Amino acid sequence: MPWALLAPALTVVGVLLLFPLGRVVWLSFRDFHLRNLVSGESDPVGFDNYTALLADPYLWRVALPNTVVFAAVAVVSTVVLGTLVALLLSTLRPLTRVVVVSCVMVAWAMPAVSGTYVWIWIFDVDEGVVAQALKSLGLLGPEGYNWFGDRLLFYAIVTLNVVHSGFPFVAVTVLAGLLTVPGELYEAALIDGAGAWRRFWHVTFPLLRPVFAVVTVLSTIWDFKVFAQIYLMPGGDVGGSRMLNLGVWAYVRSFGHNDYGAGSAVAVLLTLLLLGITVLYLRALFREEEPR
Amino acid sequence: MARRRAHTHVHLPAAAMALTLVATACGAGTGGGPVSETLVVWIMEGTNPDETAYFDAANTEFTKRTGVEVDVEFVPWSDAQNKISTAIAGGTVPDVVELGTTFVPGFADSGALHDLSDYIDDPYVYTQSLLRMGQIDDRIYGVPWYAAIRSIVYRTDIFAEHDQEVPENWAELRETAIALSEAEEDMIAFPVPGDAQYSVMPWIWGGGAELAVQTSDGTWVSEIDSDGGRAGMAFFTGLALEDGVSTTGAVNWNEIDVMESLAEERTIMAISGSNNPKAILESNPDLEGRLGVFVIPGREGGYTDSFAGGSLLSVFEGTGREDVAWEYVDHLTSHEFSSRWAEETGFFPARAAAVTAFAESEDPLVRPFAVQLSAASRGTPVAPAWGRVESEKVIVAMQQSILNGDATVEEATARAADEVERILNGG
Repeated sequence: MPWALLAPALTVVGVLLLFPLGRVVWLSFRDFHLRNLVSGESDPVGFDNYTALLADPYLWRVALPNTVVFAAVAVVSTVVLGTLVALLLSTLRPLTRVVVVSCVMVAWAMPAVSGTYVWIWIFDVDEGVVAQALKSLGLLGPEGYNWFGDRLLFYAIVTLNVVHSGFPFVAVTVLAGLLTVPGELYEAALIDGAGAWRRFWHVTFPLLRPVFAVVTVLSTIWDFKVFAQIYLMPGGDVGGSRMLNLGVWAYVRSFGHNDYGAGSAVAVLLTLLLLGITVLYLRALFREEEPR
Repeated sequence: MARRRAHTHVHLPAAAMALTLVATACGAGTGGGPVSETLVVWIMEGTNPDETAYFDAANTEFTKRTGVEVDVEFVPWSDAQNKISTAIAGGTVPDVVELGTTFVPGFADSGALHDLSDYIDDPYVYTQSLLRMGQIDDRIYGVPWYAAIRSIVYRTDIFAEHDQEVPENWAELRETAIALSEAEEDMIAFPVPGDAQYSVMPWIWGGGAELAVQTSDGTWVSEIDSDGGRAGMAFFTGLALEDGVSTTGAVNWNEIDVMESLAEERTIMAISGSNNPKAILESNPDLEGRLGVFVIPGREGGYTDSFAGGSLLSVFEGTGREDVAWEYVDHLTSHEFSSRWAEETGFFPARAAAVTAFAESEDPLVRPFAVQLSAASRGTPVAPAWGRVESEKVIVAMQQSILNGDATVEEATARAADEVERILNGG
């Protein structure tokens, strides 16, 4: 009976998730190009795609650092900003809170593609708002500067984009947690002379640890696999550029180079990386949860 | 579907099974065989003028003649390669597709395209250089629809205002651009785009190099990093980096951005396709009578070769409707509809007989393009793998790394030449 009840969900997961996942793993062990896509036949090549991938300096110098460093910065920024906004919201009166939450949610509701084009427009090299402002302040010469060609600034813009669209989720989730914390705990801490900083770290944080764990894990997963926010940026789709992360690289290798085996190997590597990080997080979480 | 009251409670496993069946049925349905009677056609869109009226007319006539409905979908050029690959993988290919000349050999070589040789009675009615780009081993996989050529479109009013003549060699082009950029400080004299590979190729050719040549043993050698190739790249990127006649933002521009900057009167002259003047005038009628065209000047005089591209119409293999699809290809590439297409877009017709009329045209927005096409044009290397050089954006990466200051001309050209050789030699 339990299996019968689980069957519909399992079927959906199987068709939509497990089958494509299995197919990507299968592809990563094959020599698969455009010709194979048409004929449907391909040869197994063992671990060739993986050995070539691990020997590729582009992985170690560009794709992996871009992915990991960007995700670390973006996750920390998203969670910190989201928490600050949640703390602000929790002090507001209900009506004001509804207004502010609605404004915040607009950023979250914006589709990634439209959001990215807005950021590209804001940072347009010649006519963008930022370029014009910096030029009129005299901080930037009249010739301007192509920030999309600068790896650090390129990712700074991506970070702005991703944090902007990601923090509302954290804010609302943490706010929901904050509202469950009994007010007496804060009163007691206040009487003991604890400042805002100590109240957060000694009352709020320990109580909301599971909430923070969930938003951190989810943000990590999202930020590791950002795609549109990079691919749509100028230079974000050029195979030889230094701007690609693992997700975009997997796509470019598959559909730009028509080397689906190699692209799948990158995708599998990204999946394994994410699985590893998620397991570490969850273990850390459950260890804390166990009764001492 | 008839439903009986007794069956309102469907067991969950049964529902799950039904779902699975539906899912697999969908998968099978899109795989092969006629899904619907409508013929699906993918047409590329980018810098063309509005095309809907043309297809309304062509499709109405086709439906009247054959009884087959036609559904034309527009696909942006920049997405084309990816979209077609995904469609092949998903079994959702259209019946007919417009392919850039550089794409056809790759897709044909992979077996995705239907061999059209047996349908064609007389291959000599088409422009032969275009026809050859759709051939592998003498089999025809694409029928020429139109030719595209790029020259330099410029603002005649601004040239006249500052007493500038049409430049006749590279040095004059540079002097003109510098003079114009000093005279019109708010305008871009000559944009040097980063994401427009066909605007880069002429300078490599003009410097005296080929993108790649095949040696007697069959291996490809790229000349992009030869002295000539480097001289061309140094000249073109130098216009932006040393002379400042471009703009920093142009590093990210593709041909559409270049065209928009002309249409918005931000740019004085730019490398543009023969279809661009019509599209520019369509979006900004104020420019009527203020646009001119000149052939890209040669390094020491004469002309610099420009990329002769164009489009072929191809039929996908395995749709089960190749014959009807061919009839549609034949319909669009007929004298009537290929000439009408050329007239409406500003592209050049792909039928040999129709080209002559264009070559003798006195229209100042047509004639220089015709001269460029007949006297100074060149194609990309005829190798099935060349399409990958384009989809991997090798030339774009070279151009952008120089413009962004990440690499010198020597470093960037050396890297690009290595990449081209790796791809063409099957690496």
